[in-house]
Amino acid sequence: MGKLIVVACGAGINTSTIAEDSIRERIAQEGFADVEVKRILMADIEGYLTRTDLVLIVSMMKIFRTFDVPVIQGMPFLIGSQEEKNVLLNKIVDVVNSK
Amino acid sequence: MTLEFNETLIAFDLQAGDAKEVIDLLAGRMHAQGFVAADYGRQTWEREQHHPTGLPTKPFCIAFPHADAEGVHRSALGVAVMRQPVTFQNMADPDEGLDVSVVFMLANRDPEEQIQTLRNLATLFGQPEKLVELREQSTLLGVASWLRRELRLG
Repeated sequence: MGKLIVVACGAGINTSTIAEDSIRERIAQEGFADVEVKRILMADIEGYLTRTDLVLIVSMMKIFRTFDVPVIQGMPFLIGSQEEKNVLLNKIVDVVNSK
Repeated sequence: MTLEFNETLIAFDLQAGDAKEVIDLLAGRMHAQGFVAADYGRQTWEREQHHPTGLPTKPFCIAFPHADAEGVHRSALGVAVMRQPVTFQNMADPDEGLDVSVVFMLANRDPEEQIQTLRNLATLFGQPEKLVELREQSTLLGVASWLRRELRLG
């Protein structure tokens, strides 16, 4: 089965696109063929929580609740240094590998 | 970028009481040149209440207020470099106020183009030394040429 990563932002500005760019690039470098990266609005998250292929949530918003899958705070993709971005990307690769 | 940009879209060493004043000023200048509709400032301020655009960049915070594409006739970028910071709420946590020193006001006709603008800005957001360079420009023309160089504006 494939693995789904959702990248959630709060509004239509699509700040999640910036995170999506970085994640897709790394996913391609790692050679993961079965990983889907999908951009969503945080308001629509409920519909994805029941998906059995969901492995990770990357959120551009601060998170005030818990989920059954790991959550990564994605703001560094927008405002962080390359080192900070690499730390997040390494975590994402670890999560994908562990599922 | 296909954004239009000129010196009159920059507010340099701006003293403003609050974020709304900054938005109104930049929107007013955009409107005066025909880039946006008359109510673009009001639309932007309203959007800011629900979906704030402050970002905790280092070493000082920035904001990128904007409204929907319907109010935009021609895409443009407005920039305010503040003498004293004004408060914008944090995009990631709307309950948190941020002291914002530089405001990038976006007016994009096309959502895809807006993403590209954001990509270009984001390369600066992650580089504290670049943001310091921008804030430490001593003249409006310095700000203008810095923005042209770093954002490859026309």
